Amino acid sequence: MAAVNSLAPKKGIGPFISKNTTLVTFVSLAILLGLMTGGRSFEWPSVRNLMIAESVRAFAALGVGMIIITWGIDLSIGYVVCLVASVAASFAQSPDYAAALYAGKDFPLWLPFVVGIVTGGIFGLFNGVLIAFGRLPPFIATLGTMSIARGAQLIYTKAAVVGDLKDNYKAIAQGSVGPIPNLAIYVAIACFVIWVLLRHTKRGTNFYAIGGNAMAARVSGINVKRETVMVYTYAGLLYGIAGCLLAGRLGLANALTANGMELDAIAAVTVGGVSQTGGVGTMSGMIIGVLTLGIINYGMTYLGVDSYYQLLVKGFIIIAAVYFDMKKYAKRG
Amino acid sequence: MANDWGSEYVLEMIGISKSFPGVRALDDVTLRVRAGKVHALMGENGAGKSTLMKCLFGIYREDSGDVMLKGNKVNFHSAKDALEAGVSMIHQELSNVPQRSVCENIWLGREPLIKIGPMGFLNHKKMHADTVALLKSLDMDIDPSERMIALSVSKQQSCEIVKAVSYDASVVVMDEPSSSLTETETEHLFKIIRTLAAKGVAVIYISHRMSEIFEIADEVSIMRDGKMIGNYPIHEIDEDKLIKLMVGRDNTSRFPPVESTIGEVRLEVKNLTSANPRSFKDVSFVLRRGEILGIGGLVGAQRTELVESIFGLRKIGSGEIFIDGKKVEVRSPRDAIRKGMGLITEDRRGSGIFPLMSITANTAIASLGNYLNALRFLKHRKIEAETKKLNEALRTKTPTMATQIQNLSGGNQQKVLVSRWLMTLPDILIMDEPTRGIDVGAKYEIYSIMADLVANGKSVIMVSSEMPELIGMSHRVMVLCAGRHTGTLDKAEATQESVMRLAAQFEN
Repeated sequence: MAAVNSLAPKKGIGPFISKNTTLVTFVSLAILLGLMTGGRSFEWPSVRNLMIAESVRAFAALGVGMIIITWGIDLSIGYVVCLVASVAASFAQSPDYAAALYAGKDFPLWLPFVVGIVTGGIFGLFNGVLIAFGRLPPFIATLGTMSIARGAQLIYTKAAVVGDLKDNYKAIAQGSVGPIPNLAIYVAIACFVIWVLLRHTKRGTNFYAIGGNAMAARVSGINVKRETVMVYTYAGLLYGIAGCLLAGRLGLANALTANGMELDAIAAVTVGGVSQTGGVGTMSGMIIGVLTLGIINYGMTYLGVDSYYQLLVKGFIIIAAVYFDMKKYAKRG
Repeated sequence: MANDWGSEYVLEMIGISKSFPGVRALDDVTLRVRAGKVHALMGENGAGKSTLMKCLFGIYREDSGDVMLKGNKVNFHSAKDALEAGVSMIHQELSNVPQRSVCENIWLGREPLIKIGPMGFLNHKKMHADTVALLKSLDMDIDPSERMIALSVSKQQSCEIVKAVSYDASVVVMDEPSSSLTETETEHLFKIIRTLAAKGVAVIYISHRMSEIFEIADEVSIMRDGKMIGNYPIHEIDEDKLIKLMVGRDNTSRFPPVESTIGEVRLEVKNLTSANPRSFKDVSFVLRRGEILGIGGLVGAQRTELVESIFGLRKIGSGEIFIDGKKVEVRSPRDAIRKGMGLITEDRRGSGIFPLMSITANTAIASLGNYLNALRFLKHRKIEAETKKLNEALRTKTPTMATQIQNLSGGNQQKVLVSRWLMTLPDILIMDEPTRGIDVGAKYEIYSIMADLVANGKSVIMVSSEMPELIGMSHRVMVLCAGRHTGTLDKAEATQESVMRLAAQFEN
């Protein structure tokens, strides 16, 4: 069943490659990595590690991916996730930890999640309102909230590490169901929800329409302001989930947690075919983008490339991905 | 004609052919242009006019054929190449730096410099003096130090022409130059074109507007399906013959018969005034069931502003709107759609199509709310069936329903937009310049759709700058001038002259 947003199916290997550049890139890189590692990267422990390492980023990527589909951008991701992780962690510290933010208190297990996800959602909502009703350019609005989140995190934690989290909290992120890490399951659920949203709901189609031509969207009866607020809020909720899980996975949160995640997430979705020109992108593309960057990281680490150089490479990847994206979609002058 | 290149033609494109995968876009096309003459190039969209011009300017590389400029074979690799050789193009869309002055725009990239050692400084004085001289030679009243953005569209366009002249152009190509100009401005443009021709410049004039061709052109070449169909001195051809050559069939009747029963009042607008003090004031009218109401007027008459305000896209200052006798408030296009209205805007690219989305999505986008299942998920199958049915009924030409709309011709894009609104099942369809930039064949089909709509008891408001369609299709023509309603004419009273009299009642 072809969806409203799908493209024409074409036969043959050439069109297949050009239509599925993202997938082809990912598979080729995976095979290349497999050859370099003598097949070790295909073994379950490696695959498992990749899934665990990339899962938190996947939430951020799904969020910002949807925002970019509406022709927006979000620079606040890293520090919002950092703030959420810190807030969530503060409600999940062991009650007998003397240096805990709320020392001696034992909060229920659901509380850090609720507080964390609500925090993320509020930041998203705030971004959305600034952009839709305040008419701020997304770049500037989220640059502002980025700094607000940063400041809030430092004030809340007094720049200290929020550590010694309860085991049952950590288990939510670190546990497994059989061989499958919990984190991968959460990502799979999120992917399904986002896929349904983008492919099978009116709102998802509205996101594409707004990114494709906001004025035409308005004429077609779409409430562009409300939908814009919604996409940033959804993204904020996803960052909230990312922050809560990240704190659990690391067992702590500090001012460096999730720093630079906006770059990772934007790079991943761009590699995954979400166009900076708006109106183009799919859930599967976003996830393949995350995994592609994941195996590039994995490969560089395997080859012993210094992490400083890895940053450099990431920079070039994002530039190259946008370059090809612009070549493909930017209007010819 | 005697000249130093031994041919009576300044520009000759001989036997140009160009193929794209699956299409022969140009088939042995020959175009010869005389110095000091205005040469109209006509044809439906997709006839090959733009492709031919793109070959001239090196944007496309022709497969075979020669381009001769003043008797010498030339081969431009870019528009800049061509410009430096004296062949320039005035585009439909303006290309200037809005925040810089007229002067700076004209000399952009080749500013006169005062050399001091290795350093060059702008010679503002020379730049200014040269611009003044150029403006004077073309009899243009423009302040060279004014910023581009402060000028009207027509004056900005004049500056483009000045720029072309400053390159000592011998050939100037104008692609639909009058599309955003008022009548007066168009008149002014024609004056400039005549001045250019008098200076010996050959002008290639591309336009869809018949009346202009007969006013300004000395010669006309007609293209169809990638072939050159004919070349005539303008006095040897008339409008009907021109249309016949363009569409390749007899177009005895340009408008389909409109057979409908006019019923009760469906929409009534009373003393509507825009929130924008410079826009329309105190406009009242009624629209009946089964009626096509044409809205005529010159550019600046605020017709688009009026219909967009009724549709909830712009703010209303005061006045009332009644639908089926009930007073309504239309706060947004969403509201308007719920109340049974639809609007096809005048700017197809800017506020109509979603270029990267499929025909299906472009058709369904305004009606998705009616195609949700119990879980509020989209009923893809129903949507596909309905969009397909609508587009087949309107005979939209597309490879598949999944094709991106940007790959269709203007006329087919317009049909998709019409389908979009038909899918919302409107009682009142507002069409703002419904046939702008689409070819003659597609125009007729759009007219037929309008006739069908009113035959089925719907009502249509059509804003149009094309006098023949305004008069040919409307039951009544309402005329605006400078934001005021100057009169409404019945079909029997509406003629080019009577409409024009009302349209030009006030000084703008």
